Amino acid sequence: MPQHLKRLISFFAILLILFLIMRQVLIPKSFGQLGHYRADAISENQVRELHYAGSENCTKCHDSIHIEKDEGYHKQLKCEVCHGPGLKHTQYADKFKDGHLPDSLLLHKPIERKECALCHQKNAARTKILFDTIDNTMIVQIDAMKHKLLNKKTKEEQKCIKCHNPHQP
Amino acid sequence: MEPHLQNLYEVLSKVDGYVYPNEIELNWSILIVLYPYITGLVAGAFILASLERIFKLHILKPTYGLALLTAFSFMLVATMPLISHLGKPLRAYEIMITPHSSSAMAIFGFVYLWYLMVVLLLEIWFDYRCDMIIWANETKGFKRFLYRALSLWTTDISPKAVALDNKIGYIITVIGVPSAFLLHGYVGFIFGSIKANPWWSTVLMPVIFLFSAMVSGIALVMFIYIILNKIRKISVDMACLDTIAKYLFYILIIDFTLEGLDQIHRIYEAEESFEVLHMLVFGRLFFTLFIMQGLFGTVIPLITLAILQFYKPKVQIRKIIYFIIATLILIGIFFMRWNVVIGGQLFSKSFYGYTSFKIGLIGAEGYLMAAVWIIVPFLILTFLLWLLPPWKKKEDEIQVI
Repeated sequence: MPQHLKRLISFFAILLILFLIMRQVLIPKSFGQLGHYRADAISENQVRELHYAGSENCTKCHDSIHIEKDEGYHKQLKCEVCHGPGLKHTQYADKFKDGHLPDSLLLHKPIERKECALCHQKNAARTKILFDTIDNTMIVQIDAMKHKLLNKKTKEEQKCIKCHNPHQP
Repeated sequence: MEPHLQNLYEVLSKVDGYVYPNEIELNWSILIVLYPYITGLVAGAFILASLERIFKLHILKPTYGLALLTAFSFMLVATMPLISHLGKPLRAYEIMITPHSSSAMAIFGFVYLWYLMVVLLLEIWFDYRCDMIIWANETKGFKRFLYRALSLWTTDISPKAVALDNKIGYIITVIGVPSAFLLHGYVGFIFGSIKANPWWSTVLMPVIFLFSAMVSGIALVMFIYIILNKIRKISVDMACLDTIAKYLFYILIIDFTLEGLDQIHRIYEAEESFEVLHMLVFGRLFFTLFIMQGLFGTVIPLITLAILQFYKPKVQIRKIIYFIIATLILIGIFFMRWNVVIGGQLFSKSFYGYTSFKIGLIGAEGYLMAAVWIIVPFLILTFLLWLLPPWKKKEDEIQVI
């Protein structure tokens, strides 16, 4: 074989070996253990701080609301969807026997019209959901500009919860 | 006005009709337009070089080396728009070390590497090896070292070795032509295989991309060849330029026909997406599609090249016409990529509305960033032409001896 071909083949062989070495060094150790991804990513995610408690934990104290909600259209809806993450609340709320919780443990009460409208405002992208029924529930959609009640004295828009009980709308 | 309403107002002023929330902002901007554009230039320039080598069109000899070096310098930059678009350059290698067959882009990494390392680099190496050894003996200092290193410290310039180089170079070119087709066919495939987007999803997409790539690559070499000879103050080889123009004309006809066929097919089928696409091309894409791509990029060059096949004006005028045509085609093909990439994102996949796109001057996705990735290959080419000037090649003399 001519000299220059030998050199060229050696050059490419060196490149290939370098690539394989680099590959060994660069691929994370846990890559491919469970699939085409880094298996350590799971354990790294597991140690991340939790924020949500889950509805079961809410029910332990607020069982009356749970019973109420279970009879209405919102029964599929988990508490923290509207009230926000509540892990700290469930962990520490019972330490305050008098019921006066510090601000950091208070959960959000969505009482404004715009908060109900997040799900119930008529939206062309959501029309399909209107006709889908899951366990006989569906998202009722209204036009918030038309579906409203004004205060007779102040002429201000009344809040939705004036007529609708959010736990049993 | 409340801040969130103000934001909503600004966002909605960009939108006509109904669009899904994730369609308001375009995720793929000018850098993604550049990526198929630059790969197309590479494939086209290489195919022009292969015309000389495989199909023995020796009249194209003056542009052979230039076309190869052009393809190489653009190839080195081809992935840069993607890497700068993604914004995580330090992760760019990951696509190569853990590829997966279900990822079109990961496989493309290997198509790219094959084309760069095995086709372009090797072909240039075999083509210049003998010259680099001769030049190393004629130069001093760093340049001499560079030639020695690039020729891998080989010294054999016997006619037998040179003949072997030529033979291997020929084989690489034969492998290179389908590789170039594969490279750019693949870029078309990446768009054509997105079935959710009716503007992209057509099996003709790889073929259209391929032929438009050839058109733009040939136009680029023509453009550079005319400028280079102007700078070097030597006369252009008109026979060569006329032949390039002839092939440009043929391929432009095929390209035009294929794109026309695609549109006719779309119009005849008139699927549910037709209405929204019809309004798109006569609305937001009118200027870039009909004026820039259609009129300036295709019709004017096509008619002019057709006339030049029968009527040949004086050399000086012909040269200027070729230069203008090459420029127009380069702009036209850029807008073809623009219309595909940007056009495909301007309409809602609900088929009920449109968003709009405005590009900034500065920023990671602005005009300046795009200009950088267009200028860099020319700088690389300038360096390569300084290092490996095709007009100083002495290989032919050795064969004579």
